[in-house]
Amino acid sequence: MKLLLIAITATLLHAAPPSPGQNSYEKANALFVAKQFDASLAAVEEALRLDPKLIPALTLQAKLAMAANRFDLANRSLERALSIDPKAPYAQFLYGMTAYMNNEMKEALTRFRRARELAPKDPRVALYLGLSTESVGTPADALALYEEAIRLERAVGHPQADTLLPGARLLLLLGRLEECETWIRQAVKLSPTLRDAHFELARLLLKKGEPAQAAAEAELALTLSAGTAPDPAIHYLLIRAWTQAGQPDRAAIHAAVIRAQER
Amino acid sequence: MFRSLLLLITVTGVAPAAPPPIRFEDIAAQSGLHFELQNGEAGGFHQIELTLGGVAAFDYNNDGCTDIFFTNGAAIPSLRKTSPKFSNRLFRNNCNLTFTDVTAEANLAGQGYSMAVATADYDNDGWADLFVAGVKGNTLYRNLGNGRFADAPLPNSDAASKWAVSAGWFDYDNDGWLDLFVANYVVWDAATEPRCGTPQRQYYCHPNAYQGLPNQLFHNNHDGTFSDVSAASGIGRQIGKGMGVSFADFDGDGLTDIFVANDSVRGLLFHNQGHGKFKEIGLEAGVALRDDGYAIAGMGADFRDLDNDGKPDLLVSGILNDSFLLFRNLGGKNGFEDYAQRSGLLMSTRQLTGWSLGMFDFDNDGWKDLFFALAHLMQLDRYLGRESALPNRVYRNLAGQRLEDVSPTAGPSFQTAAAHRGAAFADFDNDGRMDVVVTAVNSPAKLFRNVTASSSNWLALRLRGVRSNRQGLGAKVHVHLPDGRHLYNHATTAVGYASSSEPLVRFGLGTQPAAAEIEIQWPSGRLQKLTNVAANRILDVTEDGGQP
Repeated sequence: MKLLLIAITATLLHAAPPSPGQNSYEKANALFVAKQFDASLAAVEEALRLDPKLIPALTLQAKLAMAANRFDLANRSLERALSIDPKAPYAQFLYGMTAYMNNEMKEALTRFRRARELAPKDPRVALYLGLSTESVGTPADALALYEEAIRLERAVGHPQADTLLPGARLLLLLGRLEECETWIRQAVKLSPTLRDAHFELARLLLKKGEPAQAAAEAELALTLSAGTAPDPAIHYLLIRAWTQAGQPDRAAIHAAVIRAQER
Repeated sequence: MFRSLLLLITVTGVAPAAPPPIRFEDIAAQSGLHFELQNGEAGGFHQIELTLGGVAAFDYNNDGCTDIFFTNGAAIPSLRKTSPKFSNRLFRNNCNLTFTDVTAEANLAGQGYSMAVATADYDNDGWADLFVAGVKGNTLYRNLGNGRFADAPLPNSDAASKWAVSAGWFDYDNDGWLDLFVANYVVWDAATEPRCGTPQRQYYCHPNAYQGLPNQLFHNNHDGTFSDVSAASGIGRQIGKGMGVSFADFDGDGLTDIFVANDSVRGLLFHNQGHGKFKEIGLEAGVALRDDGYAIAGMGADFRDLDNDGKPDLLVSGILNDSFLLFRNLGGKNGFEDYAQRSGLLMSTRQLTGWSLGMFDFDNDGWKDLFFALAHLMQLDRYLGRESALPNRVYRNLAGQRLEDVSPTAGPSFQTAAAHRGAAFADFDNDGRMDVVVTAVNSPAKLFRNVTASSSNWLALRLRGVRSNRQGLGAKVHVHLPDGRHLYNHATTAVGYASSSEPLVRFGLGTQPAAAEIEIQWPSGRLQKLTNVAANRILDVTEDGGQP
């Protein structure tokens, strides 16, 4: 107990004084979460005026620039943050993201690898390093990173369906259907209302030669709003599933929907 | 499997010999085939700079040796061939593995920014003609039979406002005269073209920045003229961003169907319903999109039977991270199934960008192999951290089940990277092995002579239609081998991307010294049978002409 008190006292004595820009940064962050980007930008600029070295404000400034597709500005903010603290893990992760979102995969790999050194327990870093690795054609390495991302999420008790799905998609491409099914069913269990999980399950079932079950999953996916699987992709799967299930009339309905959207 | 192998070794004393590697040797330079495709780029990042490069393999002078025609670019923005370096070029095959440039005497230097070429004898006079597609202008050349070509009339097709990337000849109404399909890409004008990136870091725009165009169908009026039937046939109703076009009677109803590979929008399968009408059924047939519903950047296409089941399958190339598409024809109303993953093509092509392609039996073992002309887009170097130039690839077909990348053993000159684009397929030296001519942007063309050390037998059919069109394009050929195997192919010159290949129908016979029976289903509907046809020759077959 006495030792603990000494430790707390020592920590308080050595803690940095609060940044003069902290309040403005917190306001900016709240506005960012509320998607009030213009107001958030004004607040973050105020925070940086008060404390030009406030790293959370610099990373928030970068996120605002990324939201506006200004990756040049984002990079500038992140490079400044990393010049102040080369070990700032979140700034390094975002620096990787700017390259990844610009399809600059070689640079993304370099940056994410550095981010992984700084934050080896951050599942986001492992996931995006995996996605970049898959993009440059090394699926085995990518799969290992997806597995690591899931392991890290489980270690803190927060496994995410969105983290399982990239690995599941890769397993489907590799034809490893049993493993793929395990991953997807976990994703469905974690997020039963995520359309992407049901869409991927439908793809798998169609590949396994179970078109009626695939159609049922895809029809369910169409009713769900959370997720990124586009409607035409689900309709296209339904055309093939209903056709293979011997119900061409139901397939025709989905073909008509796609054609109507094309006009 | 291992046990079977052991048993075989025990019984015969030897393991089965590995097939000889498919090998190519680039002989362009030594054969006098000096051509360099010029895209006219001058830092403006114009979309047209990316997509040119069509090449044709055809016998323009009927001497039995396949000649080569190259399309070429022009200056931008004038779209004029302001220098001889932009000339289209015709090379006569001297029948001794050398070529002579005969462009001037043939009157084929051309004009405008040329993209693609389609060859066929459209007027049934026995001489193969040329259609050259391009940016804001297409040209039809009639072969006069004396080594010269003359401009021939096309209907007012609004070509001045279009950009055609591929074209092909086929007889959609089986009237014995070849009709013309033109695959149009996007609306483009140098002055109004979108600019992408920043002034400091400009790059080529994504195709999404451009408006797509409908394709066109021209009916042959039997008198040297054509009628634009795009609207009446239903072809013109569908907007796309057409790149590759290929033909096959996929459902066996005797009418030739059309597949169009589109760039970043879904592929189109036009089902020929007869009476001059087409219905687009790509979605229903399962060939419109990738397995996950994503529209790849479709480029080249070939529509042939890859697994020897008598039903044409479909191969489409795409861009980096697309993976190429391979659809297996299930027959009837079952449409097609994705076969890229099971065949091994999916992961193997995921890091590639493919342009022209073809399904041909390069080792004559009875299974059609795959050839891809490859190169990433020019601007991708810095994104990928590696060169956009790529070597081409060849895949061996393992009994219709798997496709094995055998490029590493295809010869030293095959490993050379370039910005490859068009490819045309023919047996240029008449040795029974399929060769390939490939173009490359701002680089010399390559002539890959097939030097596979195979002792396999082969057979080629040079068709002469009588009631059908003169070249028999669209004819379906079924070969019965003495060992009970069945092989299938059909006559078409529309292969790959922007290019045109020889019209002969070829078969690798493996160890079989003859074909026990050959059935030819002519576009006219006539079924012609030949029996006991010896291998290793080009067989001239005239419709209704009996056994040659």
